[in-house]
Amino acid sequence: MTFNAANVTNKRVAVVAAGVISPLGLGLAETLESLRTARDCVGPVTRFDVQACRCQTAAQVRDEGLQPITNGSRARRLHPASNMMIRALHEALDENQNFHPDLAVIGTTSGGMSFGEQYYRALSTRAPLQRAPRWIANYSPQKPAVDALEAFGLECPCQIIANACASGTNAIGHAFHCIRSGKYRRVLAGGYDALCELVFVGFDSLQAATPDKCRPFDADRTGMVLGEGAAVLALEEWNSAQDRGANILAEITGYGISTDNHHLTQPNPSGIGPRDAMEQALRTAGIDESMVDYINAHGTATKFNDSAEAKAIRELFPSGPPVSSTKSMMGHSLGAAGAIEAVVCLLAIQHSFLPPNINFTRAGEDVDLDIVANQPRSSAVRTAVSNSFGFGGTNASIVLQTARS
Amino acid sequence: MNVCIAGVGWVTPLGSTIEEVWNQLLAGNIPPIAEVSDPLGNKSYPAYQVPPSALRNLPPHPRLRRASAISRFAAAAGLAALTDANLTNEHLQSKQLALVFAVANGGVIYTKRFYRDIVDSGAGSASPLLFPETVFNAAASHVAAIIGLNGTCYTVVGDGSVGLTGIQMAEDVMSDPSVDYCLVIAAEEADWLLCDAYQKWRLLRRQPPIEVFASPAGGTILSEGAGAVLLARTGPVQVAATSAGAYFARREKAGTVLARVLEKVGTSENAMVIGSANGTFVDAAESSAMDKVAPSGVLYAIKGSLGEGVAAGALWQVIAGVRALTTAQMPQPQYPKRAAADRSLAKKLTDRGELTVLSCGLNQHAGAVRLRRA
Repeated sequence: MTFNAANVTNKRVAVVAAGVISPLGLGLAETLESLRTARDCVGPVTRFDVQACRCQTAAQVRDEGLQPITNGSRARRLHPASNMMIRALHEALDENQNFHPDLAVIGTTSGGMSFGEQYYRALSTRAPLQRAPRWIANYSPQKPAVDALEAFGLECPCQIIANACASGTNAIGHAFHCIRSGKYRRVLAGGYDALCELVFVGFDSLQAATPDKCRPFDADRTGMVLGEGAAVLALEEWNSAQDRGANILAEITGYGISTDNHHLTQPNPSGIGPRDAMEQALRTAGIDESMVDYINAHGTATKFNDSAEAKAIRELFPSGPPVSSTKSMMGHSLGAAGAIEAVVCLLAIQHSFLPPNINFTRAGEDVDLDIVANQPRSSAVRTAVSNSFGFGGTNASIVLQTARS
Repeated sequence: MNVCIAGVGWVTPLGSTIEEVWNQLLAGNIPPIAEVSDPLGNKSYPAYQVPPSALRNLPPHPRLRRASAISRFAAAAGLAALTDANLTNEHLQSKQLALVFAVANGGVIYTKRFYRDIVDSGAGSASPLLFPETVFNAAASHVAAIIGLNGTCYTVVGDGSVGLTGIQMAEDVMSDPSVDYCLVIAAEEADWLLCDAYQKWRLLRRQPPIEVFASPAGGTILSEGAGAVLLARTGPVQVAATSAGAYFARREKAGTVLARVLEKVGTSENAMVIGSANGTFVDAAESSAMDKVAPSGVLYAIKGSLGEGVAAGALWQVIAGVRALTTAQMPQPQYPKRAAADRSLAKKLTDRGELTVLSCGLNQHAGAVRLRRA
């Protein structure tokens, strides 16, 4: 048997709907407002005890966003990550009820981990275990995605990508690839993650999290701040979207993925991983680097990440497009980050502005970039690149462009 | 699009070489039972564990020094699949290789140890060495580093059917004509914490053997290990059809959903099916799906011998399917009972040159793959 390359297509991929929950706000309108006002959403952690941690802050979704949107005992049993996913999907499908996906590709790193923590703590302290069945049934990483699909009666299969902090961008990129190749017509893509103690303490133990403000690309950057949230993009093959009169918000035109084997948790300082991912994304999109108007950087504010990413951007984009890391405002929501940041790019394209990189004083010596410092800029954004990189050396970039008929 | 299986590898409680495990399955052997102890509740649970000898061929690598059991299982199975396909490192340097790693419970041993320190002694005692190994894609990262992969690498999570989701995803990845190979690995490790959870879920039995298709269902025994399947453009067995799967909101609906995925991959009414029956509600769901879609077919259930290997289990089924198609042999069928009496059945069925692998996870997902001798 031989592979038949003639069957491969290059379908165009439209974004026809989006929904988002993040520390920036519940929904697209609040998110846009927060981006335009450069709101710093980082504050003290209230979900669990962090007294023994070096870092004691995070960007939390306000409590309403973690609550179920429907009543009933089943809804009350769900994990907060499920509730965020349901809310994001609700916003995306609210005005697109004819969007029936063939597939969902969703990213996460820890799913309902806090339920796993409660289960272990209860066992460890010999506390009552009446709620154990709820914790066990709802802690698994795929459950929030399943809950969200079920809440809207969607029976499509689901691929849950757990590529650490790149998961959300990988999910959108793989969904893009699935439509582009002609295998699927409509795919839901996105990501979710809720703050949990295990992951928070983990980053604190690595000293990757900062007790200071999150200052991506700044000379005085000292690390990341965790966040949480969920976002969903409804992707559809271009002609299908046009034929049914869907409102096309933007087009995804490129995707790149690379693996850097330098170290489990640190990027190769040469920036080769991010560079390969961005280069591949531009190549898929069939565009020149000079066409890029904005880069939403991974920008965690750790020394190593920002240095490698800045080097890769500088080498690949000699024209020096504006760059910002919106994690400075909303923290790093891990598996949700790429999906939320794709929505940020979508808003930038739709509303012609560049989201800011706050808490920025002066660029690090290793950062030769045009940083959108502290305040948003008015600017037409026809082409945006969104980057996500993660543990395991995983790197992903996507290209979003204005919808061209 | 044609995607074929060019090589396979597994690490199981019955051993790790293809022939060794296959012969034990044909003989109906089961692994020795281990008791895994719960230090918190002074309880113990039965489990099938990978014997140390199963990893004897795993070459040393800096990435594996501190790696968890799940990473070692994954690396051993992945390398075995590349060897089975006669692929050398030199050959792979000139080819585009992708990796899809499928997992359900993940590196639970290190995750539990990391969190135990937090619970027992506070956040200040959390180990920065352990934390990176708790991340779901740690095993995939180690395998990528060992084989020198620098392109597409996905970790996909789900329940026991996620191995088949991995095959589907790999097929999606290979719709890019520049990808020559995709290595799909699924791995899992057994631990008392998982056993305790499955016990509370009323899915675990206290002692072997697992009695598949018994009524009422008597429960399963967790096992561990890894399976690996190398997908290529050519190979002895073709992936004729895949179902990306479907979810069932309630266990009672599992049979209906399984019937749907069997139909979706074009299962014939007299098909040979390698199912995931494991002594739980899955058995009744699979037999009901068979009665609907393949009433003259025969259902094999290798989890009776290998235990519930969760993510790894679905790829073990695929590997058993590949072996059946390439050797015209199968262990004794378990459903329907009348089939067990027909000693020549395996040859008759495998002579047809195709079979379906069906997987029902315990957490709401089902998938299927139809394999055909190329």
